[in-house]
Amino acid sequence: MSPEMLAYPFLFIAIFFESFVLVTLLSKPARVARARATGAVTPSIAVIVPCYNEETTVAGTCESLLALSYPADKLEIILVNDGSTDGTAAAISQFANHPQVRIISKENGGKHTALNAGIATTNAEFIGCLDADSFVEPDALHEIIPCFADAQIAAVTAAMSVHNPKNFLQHMQNAEYIFGITFRHAIASINGLYVTPGPFSFYRRSTINELGGFRYGHQTEDMEMALRIQQAGYGIENAPRARVYTKSPSTLGNLVKQRTRWTTGFLRNVLGEYRGLIANTRHGVLGVLILPSALVAVGSGMLLFFLMLYELTRSAVTAVSIRAGIPLSYIFMPSGPIDWFYVPINFYMLLGVTTLLASLTLIAIGKRISKTPGAIALGLVSYTFLYGLVVPLWLIRATADITFGKHRDWRSS
Amino acid sequence: MSIAARNALIALLITVALVGTIAYAMNYLDQARITELSTVEDQLSIDILSLDTQFSLLEAAPCDSNASSTTLISELSNMGDRLSYAENQLGSDNAQVIRLKEKYSLLEIRDYLITKELAAACGGAKPATVLYFYSNAGDCSDCDKAGYALSYLHNTYPTLRVYSFDYNLDLGALKTFITLNKLQRSLPAFIINGKPYYGFTSLTDLEKQFPKGALSTSTPKL
Repeated sequence: MSPEMLAYPFLFIAIFFESFVLVTLLSKPARVARARATGAVTPSIAVIVPCYNEETTVAGTCESLLALSYPADKLEIILVNDGSTDGTAAAISQFANHPQVRIISKENGGKHTALNAGIATTNAEFIGCLDADSFVEPDALHEIIPCFADAQIAAVTAAMSVHNPKNFLQHMQNAEYIFGITFRHAIASINGLYVTPGPFSFYRRSTINELGGFRYGHQTEDMEMALRIQQAGYGIENAPRARVYTKSPSTLGNLVKQRTRWTTGFLRNVLGEYRGLIANTRHGVLGVLILPSALVAVGSGMLLFFLMLYELTRSAVTAVSIRAGIPLSYIFMPSGPIDWFYVPINFYMLLGVTTLLASLTLIAIGKRISKTPGAIALGLVSYTFLYGLVVPLWLIRATADITFGKHRDWRSS
Repeated sequence: MSIAARNALIALLITVALVGTIAYAMNYLDQARITELSTVEDQLSIDILSLDTQFSLLEAAPCDSNASSTTLISELSNMGDRLSYAENQLGSDNAQVIRLKEKYSLLEIRDYLITKELAAACGGAKPATVLYFYSNAGDCSDCDKAGYALSYLHNTYPTLRVYSFDYNLDLGALKTFITLNKLQRSLPAFIINGKPYYGFTSLTDLEKQFPKGALSTSTPKL
């Protein structure tokens, strides 16, 4: 059996999943969600910004919150300095006298403790979280609040993209985030979300009271909370036009660290406390399709990478071996006019191209749905050529951490 | 049926349709390649008739240098490249590929014999000729290297005539050809200007097997 045959089932699943997202995007619940009018209702809101060594970005984050189009007497901003060791305290002190801003300083205890500290000081009806390296669009709240119209909705996520992407890696992440906009919008319409990301996710206060505050959640408190909400039978919605921009890692090393944390968090939560959700029909599409697919994606990402590595190595070794002793002038001689007969197309390649084209289509749709500004061309190029090569790095690292029980520190991992 | 289940079913149908379309496209492409091979095969059939006619004409004036040159060898090479690629794509057990290989081998043998007879009749420098026997049944680890080295030699020395044969091809004429040349089953095997040579170590070693001056970049007189 050819090694390529091993990849076929996973490529089939990838195409199926992308088709599923596309079909769900076109079905009624998603269409209704897209047509949802911005809200005139203005319940009380508190946005908590946990800060740990965010001296360079926290002021901008706070200013973007203060620029939100929302009644000032209904919007409270809580900056929680979680024992920062840099100039964060000084950076946030400039907002100390602002009537909408409250500053809390505490010893470092992790993001979940910072969020809980903020929640404990407010009676707002809805609690929002915003990472201190993220910035929101002024109309974001008017997109988010109407999603809570259904009393069963416990949380609402926003539409994230990368803030001011500069290098190739950040453009790749931007495309990936915009893919995430499409994915979250479609999957939320059938209540399949399993993460409420740090940048501008909102929670119904009464649900947080009922379920308890944020937990450590294996360094992914946002995922743990979302899984707990789903386990309790509540829904998680998405506001695809509530735009939020977040800083993204600019180096491969930092990106791998961040994603290793996300992936290990996912695996430890889902295979641990929330194992009961997997294949559980009571939890609908989340249990039957989304979580199993996410687990398969971790395995298939590594398998496809190793297969590609194997094929490339084998081809390279064969090519070098065959050409040994032959003059380079012949080896690198142009092969003459292109002849369609020799176009190296095969089944495996076409399946891969189909998967990629579907991904690029979903990215383009995400950009359109969310009306995310900025050019995406470079993002599509970097996503095409880079994404498949870097994802396996954190999948392998995370899987190794899980296998060997290794726990990494949030910042220095 | 829930919306999610319905969507999953539709997505499954779309996936099957997409994968089916890809499979159909691949099959279509392979068929187009076979059609292309058939076209080349038709051209070669005309060439062999032309070669026969040419040979009859040469009986009257066998050493007319203008009349004796033939372009068949380059067409054979072109056909060989395409056949080799098609064999990789379609599989060596594909019936049409096998049939084309048989025909190709017959044409090669025929061209080899005619070239040999012309050289014998006209005297002068004998054209450098290599009969190359390979196997793609997994029992010849050096055949790819040998094939590439011969491609290089053919490209570098246009006068070199290279005839490649699949040793395992079930073709009576080829089996007789192998027997007449007293070839052992030790692949890759070469018959260089009539002398057998087995195995492939390097391009340099292979070049040493050619008679001195046999490899030339100029066109010899037949």
